[in-house]
Amino acid sequence: MRLNLVLELLDVPGQLTDVLNPIGRLGANIVAVIHQRDVKTERGTVPVQITIEGDKETLNQVLNDIEEARIEIMQVDGILRKEKITTIMVGNIVDKDVKDTVELLNRIDGVRVADLDLKMSDHPEKSASRIVIEAEQGRRKEIMAKIKNIGQSKGFMVINEV
Amino acid sequence: MNICIMGFGSVGQGVARVFQMKKEQIKEDHGLDLNLIAAVDRSGAAVNLEGLDLNLLLETKKSTGKLSEYPENGAEGISGVEILEEVDYDCLIEVTPTNIEDGEPARSHILKAMQDGKHVVTSNKGPLALNFRELADSAQKNNVQFKYEASVGGAMPIINFAHETLSGCRIESIYGILNGTTNYILSRMAKEGSSYEQTLNEAKELGIAETDPTQDVEGEDAACKVVILANSILKIDATYQDVEVRGISQITPESISLAKKEGYLIKLIGEVSEDALEVSPRLVKEGSPFAVDGTLNVATLKTDLADDVTVVGKGAGSLETASAIMSDIISIWKTN
Repeated sequence: MRLNLVLELLDVPGQLTDVLNPIGRLGANIVAVIHQRDVKTERGTVPVQITIEGDKETLNQVLNDIEEARIEIMQVDGILRKEKITTIMVGNIVDKDVKDTVELLNRIDGVRVADLDLKMSDHPEKSASRIVIEAEQGRRKEIMAKIKNIGQSKGFMVINEV
Repeated sequence: MNICIMGFGSVGQGVARVFQMKKEQIKEDHGLDLNLIAAVDRSGAAVNLEGLDLNLLLETKKSTGKLSEYPENGAEGISGVEILEEVDYDCLIEVTPTNIEDGEPARSHILKAMQDGKHVVTSNKGPLALNFRELADSAQKNNVQFKYEASVGGAMPIINFAHETLSGCRIESIYGILNGTTNYILSRMAKEGSSYEQTLNEAKELGIAETDPTQDVEGEDAACKVVILANSILKIDATYQDVEVRGISQITPESISLAKKEGYLIKLIGEVSEDALEVSPRLVKEGSPFAVDGTLNVATLKTDLADDVTVVGKGAGSLETASAIMSDIISIWKTN
């Protein structure tokens, strides 16, 4: 069987071979690689389309290895794998225990906090945190409502995406 | 068409100026003869059944601040309802200031006009946000037209646009920036990195924010518009109390700069859908239709047939708002 993947790679030398080598090693056949360095995502990473062939077991192993190497799989056969949900919380996030907030978010089924950025203010209650969450495709609305509840329960103002 | 204007602030004067500018052209294009026979403000009224002199009317208001000073035909202390009782007119333009406590005196003016079989055009959000059903039912019962395009988004076409241009579509949701003042403040904060307080003061100095900006910055004005869109376009029977409202006064430069790092802007967004009636600060993508600057308003209507349709326009201003009122008047004229 054949699998079309879109991976998200950093725009640095060696990234592509880091992906391709293990695929070959596992015995999957690389049918095509489309690597356009001038097309970039918002974060400056490069989407790379790779078509591979092999038996089901091998292909699953390939997907596992890619994930373990912490390379982002954006699409599998045209279907978005995960979606990113960005949210901003305004409030005294440090005093209200950042770790606990992240844990509460991670406890939502199918959700993982992927990135956290803090910007402290001279007035702690005006500090802001940006939280990027990876979630299963298609559950955006429900997950956004849960994020809002968690933030509000800690007294933060939650700014979700539209 | 004999017209009575209730309220002679920025919008009322804008309507009089548009009448002045466009009277001949509208007569030529649509066969509609606009005749303003009464104008009412806090001081009283100016009435002339033959038609008021628009120059003189605007001049009197400008120099004295009172319509009751209108030469010969000024009447001091007369109330709006008394005028509606005494004057024979075809269409009421209700543009008194928005009151979101009880919708008065606009609600009484509108109901009185409808009961007397007169058409009504309004920009007044108060009675629409509090008593939409009552007003719509009264219009139907009395077989008159009730139009309120100017109440949402000023010059941005949305209500008549949804009802007429998109009439074959089912509108599933509307997301929009429905308040120009907050959009100005948030746009400036994003551009200059300034604090909320600083930027609000700047907006006040420029006359973009009012001395008491509560209705705008706390999201109340946008919430009224959410109610109007919900009732009028999505047929959701809702009032002001049904909207979850959060304003922009807690937005910090820190939160805006974090959003920017990830390619987002913070905007005060009104959401109208079966799931939620909400006004809250939300993240929008830079480069998306919602990334409009200054005092512009924008709304995206999600439809079953046409997918997303987005409209943009000036959300406030005297002539801009008057343009929406004009389109309502002409539309009433055409369907009668």
